[in-house]
Amino acid sequence: MIEDLVVGLAGSGGDGVVSAGESLLTAASSQGFYALMTKSFGSQIRGGESSCRVRLSTRKVPNPGGVLDVAVALNWEDFRRFGAELPIGPETVLIHEAKAGPPPADLATPGRMPREVVGVPLAELAKASAGTDRAKTTVVLGILSGWFGVPQEALDRGLQKKFAQKGEGLLEANRKALKCGIGFAGEHPLASPRALARPAAASPKMLCDGNEMCAAGAIFSGCEFFGGYPITPSTEVMQILSRELPRHGGVVFQAEDEISGVGAAVGASFAGKKAMTATSGPGMSLKTEVLGLASIAELPLVLLDVQRGGPSTGIPTKPEQADLFQAAFSAHGDVLRPVLAPTSVEDTFRVTVEAFNLAELYQTPVVILSDQEIAQRKETVDPIDVSRLEVLERLRPTPEQLAGGYQRFAPTPSGVSPLSHPGMEGGNYLAAGIEHDVKGAPTASGAIHAAMNEKRFQKLAPLQERADLFERHGPADAPLALVSWGSSAGVAREAFALARARDLPVKLLVPTLLYPVAEPVFRAFFAGVRAGLVLELSHQGQLYRVLRMFVDLPPGVTSFARSGAQPFRADEVVERLAQQAEAFR
Amino acid sequence: MTPVTGIDFARITLRDALDLAVLIEEEARDRYVEFAEQLAAHATPEVADFFARMARIEERHRAELLERRNILFGSARSTLERRQIFDVEAPGYEEARAFMGVRQALETVLAAEVKAHAFFNEALPRVKDPELKALFKELRDEEVHHQDLVKSQLARCPEKPDDSEAYADDPVAQ
Amino acid sequence: MNALLAPNDYKSPLKPIWCPGCGDYGVVQALYRALSAVGRPPHEIAFISGIGCSSRIPGYTTAYGFNTVHGRALPIAQGVKLANPDLLVIVAGGDGDGFSIGGGHVPHAIRRNVDLTYLVMDNQVYGLTKGQLSPTSPRGLRTVTSPMGSLEQPINPLLTVLASGAGFVAQATPADMPGMTALIEEAIRYPGFSFVNIQSPCITFGEEEQQLKAHKARMKPLASLGHDPANQLAALDLARAYGTEIYTGVFYRNPSPPPTYDALVRERQAELQRGERRPRARVLDAFLKG
Repeated sequence: MIEDLVVGLAGSGGDGVVSAGESLLTAASSQGFYALMTKSFGSQIRGGESSCRVRLSTRKVPNPGGVLDVAVALNWEDFRRFGAELPIGPETVLIHEAKAGPPPADLATPGRMPREVVGVPLAELAKASAGTDRAKTTVVLGILSGWFGVPQEALDRGLQKKFAQKGEGLLEANRKALKCGIGFAGEHPLASPRALARPAAASPKMLCDGNEMCAAGAIFSGCEFFGGYPITPSTEVMQILSRELPRHGGVVFQAEDEISGVGAAVGASFAGKKAMTATSGPGMSLKTEVLGLASIAELPLVLLDVQRGGPSTGIPTKPEQADLFQAAFSAHGDVLRPVLAPTSVEDTFRVTVEAFNLAELYQTPVVILSDQEIAQRKETVDPIDVSRLEVLERLRPTPEQLAGGYQRFAPTPSGVSPLSHPGMEGGNYLAAGIEHDVKGAPTASGAIHAAMNEKRFQKLAPLQERADLFERHGPADAPLALVSWGSSAGVAREAFALARARDLPVKLLVPTLLYPVAEPVFRAFFAGVRAGLVLELSHQGQLYRVLRMFVDLPPGVTSFARSGAQPFRADEVVERLAQQAEAFR
Repeated sequence: MTPVTGIDFARITLRDALDLAVLIEEEARDRYVEFAEQLAAHATPEVADFFARMARIEERHRAELLERRNILFGSARSTLERRQIFDVEAPGYEEARAFMGVRQALETVLAAEVKAHAFFNEALPRVKDPELKALFKELRDEEVHHQDLVKSQLARCPEKPDDSEAYADDPVAQ
Repeated sequence: MNALLAPNDYKSPLKPIWCPGCGDYGVVQALYRALSAVGRPPHEIAFISGIGCSSRIPGYTTAYGFNTVHGRALPIAQGVKLANPDLLVIVAGGDGDGFSIGGGHVPHAIRRNVDLTYLVMDNQVYGLTKGQLSPTSPRGLRTVTSPMGSLEQPINPLLTVLASGAGFVAQATPADMPGMTALIEEAIRYPGFSFVNIQSPCITFGEEEQQLKAHKARMKPLASLGHDPANQLAALDLARAYGTEIYTGVFYRNPSPPPTYDALVRERQAELQRGERRPRARVLDAFLKG
């Protein structure tokens, strides 16, 4: 019995490969499995090469997985285009359209060719059962069901979801195709049989992606204004909010460009409302100046950056983790703004709520660094207990403060000054991008400027103590360290578990708060560490570099980083850790 | 561009005429206050003080006229509005200059008094009522008196042209 | 005039950085008077500006001011208004702020028709940065960045705004204070996007023939030409003379102002909120399956 199964399917856009994956995902979730699905495409709007990975497990799925357990290739050209995204190995069951012929010799590196390769006359079977060869992916679902024990009723529900709206005839035909596939599986059992273990009784789970969780987090937090502009892979957040936010009395403003979008959000924040914008790398570059305005005017704002391949237009549909420098450092002048990074779909909800809280509490823009994988992968998520989540509001002046000479930027012990907004009598002030004194009046005084910079930095000092924004596992005195963030942290968690199972003396740190660098937390973590890895998807290893700016990293802690669109696999991380552990065995 | 709108001089009442005179002084006073503030903020203190004094003088004129009006008409509200007059006795905004010298300031005031004189002089033939005619004549002649005062100050002013611009630094880009 | 709120109630103690002789002194005075006439208290007014000499104006009023970044006042102001439609929102800036770097935002602010008033102090030069060419500078103008004379045709702000469909378009000059005051008041009262191009000369970098004295001689009230402000085509025709003539008054006022964007948003919110609504705390329920 296997606990975990990774299925990869590849074909062309017209084959409905991704829809098949979605049916499998829906079916698995309804059975109580944890599941996670990612998609990958070529650059055509339709009909280019198309693939998906579905990972099912009886336990929570930490990441999309490494080498495929099952690979389905509807044709070899499309399958090959996905290269390392659909890695196969000797244990992979490789199913292919029989008509495509046997796998090309160079499909896998020598010694990595799957041992079990099954050619299935998918098009024929589909034609015979459903009356059209387009139902071939449904036949595949049937085969998977037969071989791995995903119940037929569950898949049926998935088919219903896909075909019910498209005509009763289609649903019926595909049901036949499903049965046909199951029949084929029965007649052609696997040489090395593997059936999925039954999960614990099915309990209600959410099926969603990171963008949905961000939108939900914004609604939960009381966001009342979204200003933004379409950009892959963040647009879904604006789309969801455009339906939902007005129901809660909020406004969604699709602006004429990125700058206008964030500008409107800053205006809404100035007017007293919780506001956000969402974008990807290129949009964040454009928004930089207005973000600086929000920082010096001390206005709350949440900015979601769903990272994609960069620089410039880069690779819009693939994940990368190379916007950390921009998120932390893109402002001109001395600016400190918090940067948070979710590590999973589930995490995105909580991180979004935290981002709004930090923005309101510290009257500052806060950047949420998500990435394309987290934002757009579909995942089953256990229900989130929101009762333990606090929603914080900005500090507003009291009636006494408004009655007697209110000063917008008055010094306070925490550095956070009560924030009024238009409509509040007695709270009138001038907000500005220009440096200003306690009343908001423009100033060119060096002394006042220094004091204001100090205030704007000092108010964020409590973030240094936010150990609750860090996840730590493993023995506190372990000499081997693994640090990771964003979607790579999902791989790190699995690698950590595998490494512990091999008795490697490793501990794991997953920061949600990336910037400011919480020096005490990192120092405590790295105490006694002799070697380790900072795992992330960027050419420069951006977190590794940022940590070295603020923390004395032990010399044995190295960067394990590479450009995006080549996700890490848990096994390669474990290998690196094992090598490092050798050095001090 | 007429300095006064919405007033028919052939049929103006005494009360309205006095109210008009009050407004004219008020406008001049406000303009001198503005000039005083502008020049004080632009490192031209001598002329700022001068315009502040001018504002006080205009305020005195205004108060005198208002008292006359109140004696005759009590606290009956004026039907005239500030928006009906524009730069009757007030110097134009374009007259102010950073670093302006006292001579230039005096010339500005003189031009304003000349303007006011011209206004009353021009209105005079249109006014029919003899009591009102007398008032307008009085107001016109007052301007002559003011002009004389200014001219005598100008005479005491050094003749040399104002060279403050020559010494001032170039404007600063912000 | 509102006896409760005098013009000086809108005047802040901050001393303007403007050079004595600047047209903007007249503009801010007119604004104090117009606001006093409209009667909204300062705390209900949000005054948004960009960057430039004229953009300093919010600080010289007692309203809530927001001196933002170059060219982005219109988007930011729309965010303010949509967040709180009860506020009176005024936007100000110069010709460079509005029609150069900010030019991309103008047609969209106009077509959205958010209820705000946009005052552009047009002096055909970049004053704050010491006298460079601006998008409304006439062809041939010699400036520090066009020492041999500008080779560009100026943009026509009146035509641009009219052609984008603005419902209220006027031009004013401090050379006619009562007129300018009345126009600003009318623009504020107009229900929708309203625009006043104010020919406000730069005393330090402007040309002689651009100063207020020259305006007094050159300006021609549109009313004196027999122009009917309800006639959009006639307005477009007259607007073509920008650069040659200084026409003052209302070029166009839409006789049937369409609903404002903020009003439509409010309507839709009301509609959506009439149905069953899941409270924010239960937002995740929509994702639960099984």
